[in-house]
Amino acid sequence: MNMDTPATNRVFSRRELLLRGGAGFGAVALSGLLARENALGQAARPSFVPPHFAPRAKRVIFLFMEGGPSHIDLFDPKPLLNQLAGQRMPKSFKRPITAMGETESPLLASPRTWRRHGQSGAWVSDWLPHTAGCVDDLAVIRSCWTNGINHSGGVCQMNTGQPLAGRPCLGSWVNYGLGTANENLPAFVVMTDTKSTPTNGPRNWSAGFMPAAYQGIRLSPGAEPFRHLNLPNGVTPETHRRKLELLRRLNERHRAGRGHQSELEARIRSYELAYRMQAEAPEAVDLGRESEATRRLYGFGNKETEPFGRCCLLARRLVERGVRFVQIYHGAGSKWDSHSKMEANHSRQCRQSDLPTAGLLRDLKSRGLLDDTLVIWGGEFGRTPMSEKGDGRDHNPTGFTMWMAGGGVKGGQVIGATDELGLWATEDRLHVHDLHATVLHLLGIHNLDLVYHYKGRPETPTINEGEAYTKITSG
Amino acid sequence: MPLKAAAQALGQALGQAGGWFFTDKGGSLAAMIQRLAILWMLLGGSVFAAEFTQADREWWAFRPVRQVVVPAAGAGWALNGIDRFIARKLAAHGLPPAAAADRRTLIRRVCFDLTGLPPTRAQIAAFLRDDSPGAYGRLVDRLLESPHYGERQATFWLDLVRYADSDGYKSDHYRPEAWRYRDYVIRSFNTDKPYDRFVREQLAGDEIDPGNRDALIATMFLRHWIYEYNQRDVETQWREILADVTNVTGDVLLGLGLQCARCHDHKFDPIPQRDYYRMQAFFAPLLPRDSMPVGTVAQRTRVFERHQAWAMATAELRRQLHAIEQPALLGRATGEGFDKFIDRIKTMIRKRPEKRTAYERQIAELSERQFGVEPAKLPERLTGATKAEWERLRAELKAFGAQMPEPLPQVKFVVSDAGPVAPATRLPKAGDAVEPGFLSLLNPGPARITPPPAALRSTGRRTALAGWITDPVNPLTSRVMVNRLWQQHFGRGLAANASDFGKLGEPPTHPELLDWLAARFVADGWSLKKMHRLMVTSAAYRQASANGPSEQADPANTWLARAPIRRLAAEQVRDGLLAVSGELDLESGGEGVASAGSNRRSVYRRVMRNSPDEVMQTFDSPDHISHMPQRNVTTTATQSLLLLNSEWTRQRATALAKRLAKRHSGDAAAQVAAAHELAFGQAPLSAQLNDALAFLDACGAAGEPPALAALAEYCHVLMNANAFLYVD
Repeated sequence: MNMDTPATNRVFSRRELLLRGGAGFGAVALSGLLARENALGQAARPSFVPPHFAPRAKRVIFLFMEGGPSHIDLFDPKPLLNQLAGQRMPKSFKRPITAMGETESPLLASPRTWRRHGQSGAWVSDWLPHTAGCVDDLAVIRSCWTNGINHSGGVCQMNTGQPLAGRPCLGSWVNYGLGTANENLPAFVVMTDTKSTPTNGPRNWSAGFMPAAYQGIRLSPGAEPFRHLNLPNGVTPETHRRKLELLRRLNERHRAGRGHQSELEARIRSYELAYRMQAEAPEAVDLGRESEATRRLYGFGNKETEPFGRCCLLARRLVERGVRFVQIYHGAGSKWDSHSKMEANHSRQCRQSDLPTAGLLRDLKSRGLLDDTLVIWGGEFGRTPMSEKGDGRDHNPTGFTMWMAGGGVKGGQVIGATDELGLWATEDRLHVHDLHATVLHLLGIHNLDLVYHYKGRPETPTINEGEAYTKITSG
Repeated sequence: MPLKAAAQALGQALGQAGGWFFTDKGGSLAAMIQRLAILWMLLGGSVFAAEFTQADREWWAFRPVRQVVVPAAGAGWALNGIDRFIARKLAAHGLPPAAAADRRTLIRRVCFDLTGLPPTRAQIAAFLRDDSPGAYGRLVDRLLESPHYGERQATFWLDLVRYADSDGYKSDHYRPEAWRYRDYVIRSFNTDKPYDRFVREQLAGDEIDPGNRDALIATMFLRHWIYEYNQRDVETQWREILADVTNVTGDVLLGLGLQCARCHDHKFDPIPQRDYYRMQAFFAPLLPRDSMPVGTVAQRTRVFERHQAWAMATAELRRQLHAIEQPALLGRATGEGFDKFIDRIKTMIRKRPEKRTAYERQIAELSERQFGVEPAKLPERLTGATKAEWERLRAELKAFGAQMPEPLPQVKFVVSDAGPVAPATRLPKAGDAVEPGFLSLLNPGPARITPPPAALRSTGRRTALAGWITDPVNPLTSRVMVNRLWQQHFGRGLAANASDFGKLGEPPTHPELLDWLAARFVADGWSLKKMHRLMVTSAAYRQASANGPSEQADPANTWLARAPIRRLAAEQVRDGLLAVSGELDLESGGEGVASAGSNRRSVYRRVMRNSPDEVMQTFDSPDHISHMPQRNVTTTATQSLLLLNSEWTRQRATALAKRLAKRHSGDAAAQVAAAHELAFGQAPLSAQLNDALAFLDACGAAGEPPALAALAEYCHVLMNANAFLYVD
């Protein structure tokens, strides 16, 4: 074992960091960061730390089903639920605090048709026929649990590890730890399937107490993928070029006599980077370059599947170009939330997301990208076996399902279990911290060894808790 | 792996504190050993024992502030005591100080530092003209007297206390009263309220000066936590709120990260878990109040006594009414409704307010925020004999109406205690009750608490805490605050981690200077303005930013042989652009304004936690959810794109162009010179003037934009330039 593996970041001089350069979107921020070296004399970024161990995944695509998909209607069949439907939950089940107080409401049957799929024979309901076809690539984790009982806390926790706001999200930690592989594109990109804003808004992809350079950048499909990428109205490319030239001269003159101040140089570079982004980003998001077959694979041409399919296809193009972490919200604004009319709600949500999700997995696989691209599927919590308003289900943070695929994950396995009604996770329970630790593990990062010093204290992505489920790579 | 097993065993042997380092069962042996090494290195075994070690007691931040003799160094350069300390270190490191900054550089620096605004052309001209002695000192005095001083200083304080105008969480509800706290802070700085008084008001204004509206508004310090309006797990949310106010008090006022000790003894600092709960116990009786009477002790006593008499006379009547009314009200509660709570909470809500314990009152009232009741609808909800009985009781109660006291005026969104008896504070798991107390290293016994007058219905705990924090012998309070001011003016605190004076923070580079300043601060009556003045009139502050030997030998500028070059903060960028363009609206105070369309100073914008303003956020304004002692300073392509391509920046450039075209009509050279001076504080060099004229010609000649548009493009370039974005 290599005794030199650093527990945190190493010491680099400003100059050294700048000379190394090329570390991209975040890198421009380095000089600013280094204005503040911490208590242990360490630079505020571990960008050149080698992985803690060999990574299996190089990039992540996180498909966030926002609002809370019902695990007991999708991946975790519960025969007892249908037997007891209409009755109160037996006394033997511990009562949780739920968002809507539905603890004693009658149990709601799952009317789904369940089948085992693939060689692995994992259960998937008829709501997800296309995902079912990829089941041999999935590690279905049935024993997830979290603390936040409401959307805000739940979404916040699934992103940042805790229900209370203020911490950096997983994507920011990955960005901080690994940086981008393409300096002309952001390392961490966020998309939503509709124009709706996810619960909590931009703080879901915020860098919290870490510098803003690590936050997610929102990408909107269309003429201007990133904010302010295009020239303002009325400015011709010729005028723009003249302005940049005048700016360069002003900045060079300003820098004379201030040569020691690396921020100034970094600022000049930030304009060069902006210029290159203006050139490169439009190509990266140009879906016109994809074949008709590929577009169909993602559900183009169908009003229901195309919006999410577009995000999934963009995600593939971005990770191909070196983007490290892509998060896509499906059902942005809690659309999976089904306190009533489950049947209509989940039918629609599944119709929209199932085919593009499978399309993404298939496309990644056929291009050889799935081997080192980790795909994560899940929401902020699951749903209760107890009914709400007769035909809906309340939030269930104490047991729910997510899946991971690619990036070293052994497909065709089912991890953990919930109790007989799907209320509480019981076997191989994986808290959000454990899930995050597992993601980081697959990326070659040990969750307690990735440290950012904030207010002098060593902060880690999983708040000094969490253990990677390392068996995910072997089954 | 015997070695790993040995390391784990060693961890166990080190006790609970050491154990944390070995909780990652998946961690590598190397990582474990490394942590062990760090542990030993940092602690020298200090926290393993229940007793504090000598090393703990001798930690610089916990030792009393020393009375330091000003050294004799710096003859011929030093202007005040600060410089003597700086000069001694410079001499020790063989570094000559930098030359004094030229006047244009200095006025831009000090204006941005003290008021957050660039100097106007008139201010620059006046300062350049005044060659009498003391010109700079008079400039500083004018700036400190300006209302914009408080607006600038408030920004720092609002970052520390995580001030916002919204709840956070999903709905991010607007807080219509929060701005009063922001104005209170601005007012306090502008009137140079002594810092100890400022702190006491924020912790315990309701106890120490209940008739003073400002002192009550100050307690909003304890209301800035994020809040989820529909959180059914009410008790957990309340625990988080108490933790939040405990943490922020430690962070802001003591410069210590108490929260590390919430779940276990602090791993690095001598803060046992018990101390965390001793501190939290001061806040245990807290009650968020949205109708708090403003009245002196005498007024409150009159009201209280009358109310007591009325309550006694009507007790039985009200008991009977409650029994009739409550089911009719709770059964049809509005808002989130009553049924969603667990039984335990329903029971607390059902209790009559006067029968609730302090804890039940806290939880019940927090729960009651989630729903409404409609007493006006009782007549239609009640029927038959019940209704008749109810009407009879109502009429009887009404007869006592004349005995009710006249209500006092009210303030909203503040705090009080839930009553004169505090709920118990218990250690998690162990469950031991903990009495309020300070950091036991500094003050081991229980806190001495004097109950306030009975009419205040308060425990006096927060007054005791405020008294300890603002006691001149407290070694942390004065050091922490002068260090924050130093950070403002010199880019970095004398102790680099402004909110962590513990062992993970860096020890001060100039410990004697820090103590001298802290002692002086207290001796000067905790005056912030005097301290600012002392700092910005020092020769150290007035240095130029260039100094070859210092840049070579001390690249991090630890020894301060030159002025730091700093990027403008988010508010300075926005306010600065509006000031340069001539559009800045300098109206002060009042309710926060919406982000779009206002040209008020940034401090007056509504801070909505879930929808941060784009310019603010892009230039590193914090999230206003957690305490922020020192903003990040990033340099990103996102910032460049915003300044280059956003409509907002272009509008500022266009406004500036119009301003120039009007003032210097037809004189391109004068327009360029004025723009340059407005944006950078400097006149253009002749080569820069030529560049600018060539640029205007080229833009005009190409027939692209007409003259005004060309001028706007030029102004837009200036607004992107480092000479604008950085202060020397």
